[in-house]
Amino acid sequence: MKSFRNMTYPYIVWLALFVVAPMLMIVFYAFTNAGNDMLVFKFTLENFTRFFQDPDFLRVLYTSLKIAFITTVICVLIGYPTAYVIAKQDENKQAVYILLLTLPMWINMLVRTYAWKGILMNFNISSEFKVFVGMVYNFLPYMIIQIYTSLAKMDKNLLDASYDLGANKMQTFLRVVLPLSIPGVISGITLVFLPAVSSFFIPKLLGGGDYVLIGNLIETYFITTGDWNFGSAISLIMAIIIIVSMYFTKKIDKRIGEE
Amino acid sequence: MKKENKSLWSKIVPNTWLILIVLFFYLPIIYVVIFSFNSTKSLNHFTGFSLMWYEKMFNDRKMLEPIYYTVLVAVIATVVSTIIGTITSIGLSKQKKIVRELVLQVNDLPVMNPDIVTAIGLMLFFISLNIETSIFTLLIAHITFCIPFVVLSIMPKLRTLDDNVAEAALDLGATPFQALTKVIIPQIMPAIFSGALIAFSMSFDDFVISFFTTGTGVSNISIFVYSMSKRINPSINALSSLIVAVVTTVLVVANVIPMIKARRPQVEVVKKKSKLSYIPYLAGALALAIFLVSFGNKTTGDFDPIAEFGSNTLNLFNYGEFIGEDVIADFEDMYNVKVNYDTFASNEEMYTKLMSGTSYDIIIASDYMIQKLIKDSLLQPLDKDMLTNLTDLYPDALKYMEFDPEMVYAVPYMWGTVGIIYDETLIDSEDVETLGWDVFKLEKYRGMVYFYDSERDSFMVALKALGYSMNTKNEQELLEAYNWLIEMDNAVDPAYVTDEIIDGIINGEKALGYVYSGDATYMIYENENLRFYEPHQGTNVWMDCMFIPKVARSPELANFFINYMLSYDVSYANSEYVGYTSPNEEVLIALSSEDGEYYGIDAYVPRVGFEKDETFVNDDYIRKIISEYWVKVKLN
Amino acid sequence: MRKLIEFRNIVKSFDNQVVLKGINLNVYENEFVTLLGPSGCGKSTLLRILGGFLQQDEGTIIFDGQCIDDVPAYKREINTVFQRYALFPHLDVFDNIAFGLRIKKVAEDVIDQKVTRMLSLVNLEGYEHRNVTLLSGGQQQRVAIARALVNEPEVLLLDEPLGALDLKLRQEMQRELKRIQQEVGITFIYVTHDQEEALTMSDKIVVMRDGEIQQIGTPLEIYNEPANEYVAKFIGESNIIEGVMVEDYKVKFDDKIFDCEDFGFKENEPVDVLIRPEDIKIVGRTGALMKGEVKSVLFKGVHYEIIVETISGASKTVTMHILSEHDTYNAAENEKISANDFFVDLEDVNALDDFNLVARANAQAWDDEENNLSIASITHSIENKVGTYDCTFKTQKNTEITIKVHVVAPVYVEDAKKNIGISAFDFFVTADEVKESMAISTDLKTWASAEAWNLQDDSEIEITDVKFDFDTADIEEGSYEITFATQGREYKIETTTVHEEGDKVGLKFDRNDIHVMSKMVV
Repeated sequence: MKSFRNMTYPYIVWLALFVVAPMLMIVFYAFTNAGNDMLVFKFTLENFTRFFQDPDFLRVLYTSLKIAFITTVICVLIGYPTAYVIAKQDENKQAVYILLLTLPMWINMLVRTYAWKGILMNFNISSEFKVFVGMVYNFLPYMIIQIYTSLAKMDKNLLDASYDLGANKMQTFLRVVLPLSIPGVISGITLVFLPAVSSFFIPKLLGGGDYVLIGNLIETYFITTGDWNFGSAISLIMAIIIIVSMYFTKKIDKRIGEE
Repeated sequence: MKKENKSLWSKIVPNTWLILIVLFFYLPIIYVVIFSFNSTKSLNHFTGFSLMWYEKMFNDRKMLEPIYYTVLVAVIATVVSTIIGTITSIGLSKQKKIVRELVLQVNDLPVMNPDIVTAIGLMLFFISLNIETSIFTLLIAHITFCIPFVVLSIMPKLRTLDDNVAEAALDLGATPFQALTKVIIPQIMPAIFSGALIAFSMSFDDFVISFFTTGTGVSNISIFVYSMSKRINPSINALSSLIVAVVTTVLVVANVIPMIKARRPQVEVVKKKSKLSYIPYLAGALALAIFLVSFGNKTTGDFDPIAEFGSNTLNLFNYGEFIGEDVIADFEDMYNVKVNYDTFASNEEMYTKLMSGTSYDIIIASDYMIQKLIKDSLLQPLDKDMLTNLTDLYPDALKYMEFDPEMVYAVPYMWGTVGIIYDETLIDSEDVETLGWDVFKLEKYRGMVYFYDSERDSFMVALKALGYSMNTKNEQELLEAYNWLIEMDNAVDPAYVTDEIIDGIINGEKALGYVYSGDATYMIYENENLRFYEPHQGTNVWMDCMFIPKVARSPELANFFINYMLSYDVSYANSEYVGYTSPNEEVLIALSSEDGEYYGIDAYVPRVGFEKDETFVNDDYIRKIISEYWVKVKLN
Repeated sequence: MRKLIEFRNIVKSFDNQVVLKGINLNVYENEFVTLLGPSGCGKSTLLRILGGFLQQDEGTIIFDGQCIDDVPAYKREINTVFQRYALFPHLDVFDNIAFGLRIKKVAEDVIDQKVTRMLSLVNLEGYEHRNVTLLSGGQQQRVAIARALVNEPEVLLLDEPLGALDLKLRQEMQRELKRIQQEVGITFIYVTHDQEEALTMSDKIVVMRDGEIQQIGTPLEIYNEPANEYVAKFIGESNIIEGVMVEDYKVKFDDKIFDCEDFGFKENEPVDVLIRPEDIKIVGRTGALMKGEVKSVLFKGVHYEIIVETISGASKTVTMHILSEHDTYNAAENEKISANDFFVDLEDVNALDDFNLVARANAQAWDDEENNLSIASITHSIENKVGTYDCTFKTQKNTEITIKVHVVAPVYVEDAKKNIGISAFDFFVTADEVKESMAISTDLKTWASAEAWNLQDDSEIEITDVKFDFDTADIEEGSYEITFATQGREYKIETTTVHEEGDKVGLKFDRNDIHVMSKMVV
């Protein structure tokens, strides 16, 4: 069986080349200021101080987190009942509904977002609301599927056990179903919050040019301004925020699992 | 009775909810399908039924190529990442714990990292190793973000496997390889399959990572849609509807047929279901790819470009929607050349792409950017002997070729000014003509204004309004311009957009903005209530030129193509289709004369010789300052 | 005793399949009632209807004098210990047990007290804050019992609660459960398919089959006086023999009339006769009620389980012809092929497809490295009438062998009394084939095409006995007799004295050890 171990090494090389090295490139750029010239560089923290000393950038960060947070909350609020209702259907219907919900994901995300732009043009609503519609639309399926999976694999005997012990439907939901589906909700949250923080296409298209989120900021500094050092610094800041928050969610998830 | 009522309610409420949710999911898709049959370009007014966008799509091979690349990349990335992911997972399950944990942690990175970070990391990586971006870098990027999903899908299944099973196989005389293929893999097949499916859909739908890592001529659907944002081409709706139809058919075939079969009490079919259900997906995808491949390489005639120019492919990089309809196809057919046509949305995007190591043979971009590229020695001189059509240029326009007066590196393609566009039924002409740029500070037009989301153009407007040079190096003047923009922002609260101005004002979303004269031509052509005004405070005169970067692989062919573009007929076709002013005097006269397409549209004949008008001069330092200012104006 | 629960004509079906066919059953206070039956007999369904998790199609349940058909599960004073415990994985031991009390909004300090008491009742002191998913099966079981009992139900339902435990733990928990039931003094309704469990713990056993109750009684009644063959077979080891009730107190089986204590049957009514293995004694041949031969002896720890055959089964003897080697060697291709002549019944000629031909002739081919090759083509002239025909087997590379197929008229032995037909054919094999056989009895049956069947309904009957007296290890060319036989009348006997296989013995039992049962209505 030990010979199977060798099968790991190609991917370890791949990871080192295409995952670790690129991350190191970002780190390198973030801590230097020599522009795109890699031969004359100087280590500096300037890119970071520039970001954290500027209230405007901090506000972009705050807005991004806020938008992602609200999107996630809306997705939970809509996704949970949807997943619950689907899980209550008989099995054939469940499969049909899940298929119905996943099918639109095969249509290009940009195309769907363009379509929303056309639809929302007809309504006089704030650009923030439009961004929410686009975000929720794009990320809701992930939430529904995660919660649905955790509900569908739940042992139905637990519900009987709860009724047996005197809990009515509401009490059973609150005390058994809900706590047991929390892992599904948490993985749904990660699948929604994560891309929502960094999304730049949806706010750009639906929110108009003055709706700047951190993803747009990175795009601006890489594409328009050409300041790759600062762009890398912002990327690094965002990556760290996300990886740290993922780490904590995983921990919470684990703790709930252990309880 | 009471009981029945209750159960009725408990059915109606959830079912209604589900129907609403499904509707929400299908609304944009229905919308796309409906508007693919629209008879005009409008994205929010259905004016009549027409198949024109489908016709356009099928006639334009460039529209089908992105589907081909999307499917091709998705299929290859899925197959490769599934194989590597499966092998790795099985290896990992037998690995020492510390190695396993470490690999899984790193494996999580592409999953947890925001797309844009992964994309930028890979881009920086390829640049620093001088790897030219191409379909291979795109594939590497896709495989890199697909493998983790395959591994994450297979690992949990492997953990549930009985270790003894593989050992039993070895005990019965199987080699380790046989134990792997005949015992382990069949058991984890469902997990491998679901991993492959996730990989396929991730690759299929990816935009950000592809955008930063792809090379010349290779655009997937996402990149294609994104680059079309210059002017929405409803063919994209037709394209999407086609994808909807194909995907729906494939999924229905893959899911409903086994379901129907399963209903019949045939044990065999049920057993086989899990194995068979993925075949239609792959078959469908491959069939589509093969179907589209047939659009890929068409050659006719007997011109031999390799003998003549040493190459038969030409990589062209241009603004989106900035070339005549059949110009490229005609060239390809006439000379047996394959033109890889990529588009960008801004000069800066073009610059980033060029710097990231993509090699182009011809680029079409603007004055100040060319100046920068010349200064950085990134361009090669044109072969004037080949440019036999370099005649009849409009002398008044040529005066603005200040960055390359002798046309050593660049020859003009389109030119024009920037001016105010407004709907005269809603905006007082007198306000525009007396105030010039300052009309953007009139509070009564609040909510009716578009402002270009471009630091360069915005600061041009502000500086000109203040009476300064738009190329000022005086930081005090820049600060004043910044304050002018803030005041403007406070007064009219404009929508900051890019090319949406064009359709937005034509469709009457807003009534006031400023645009390039070429866009104004098109807009007035579409909506006769619109007026174009070049302010008396002066404006920007710009030249978009064709040039050949040093990294070009087919410079001779590039010169040949530029000469083709300079010919009267092609110049005419380009200018007529795009609406921008041609530097060819004959074309300009023809199109603006009584028989011309743009007769009576003053925007087609830009102002020349006005002393306050200027062209942009590139200054990296100043540009950094104004881009910082601009971010802040928008954040205001 | 007070009648606590009354099932009245409970009918339930799933997807048009009737699972309960009108169950009537009374359960009394403080009783330990066991619903016993194989899976699918409806016992769990009945329990789930009582628990309120299923609604019966017809019939009524009276609980404590009240109809509870419309009372939802959470309002019934009944608690359940579920099959796989159904402990809440997100709660620890304490919170699992406290679940029902918290639902009833009992004060926390009272909960504390009650849970602690329960934990000591089920011997889980100190486990309060353990993660339930990390407990052993037995511990989870105890938590499930405590969780149910803490609500002080009038009835505790247990659905195969010990099914997932190993034997030793199961026996331990059986005692434990009985102790707990006696200590708390409430009614237990227990569902199991394990007869030993039922006999050990119950006050009353309800034997169920296909949605019907077969018998209700105390463990002793059920064991000693099973109502029919089904109950008898389900409860304990037993010898069940078809017989005829000649008259009251006289039953005939195995061609003899025995005295017995049963009466009330019709004259000459076919019946089933039960004699428990421990009631039969092995004695000398003289003075025995029956004579037979010991067929097998199994040591079972405290006793031996001995099978004695009193009447042999139907049999047929054939001749095995051992031939010399007769490979055909194809030097050009370096291949060998072998096959044997064989006999075939005229009736079976139609069934002779290629697959059958290869099997009957034992056709094999192999290359010089002993790798088996497949038979690529078969040509034959076999006709559907008695005679001898050629049959040729060929490999891919045309290495071939031709054999004779003897089609013979059907020859079979009918044993009308036992209602059995048996047939077998003479056959040809090589000595090596016999020597290399890993399972000689099975191979002999295959070579001889030996089969037995029920004369009435043509159903297959197993040939259990293959008798021959040669040594497979050093068999030589020649002819050998082989006898194939079906199972005869066998008695299972439990005894503490040792006997050897092949011993000729006599059997004896008392008249009160004979229990006569009515034939079951199928």
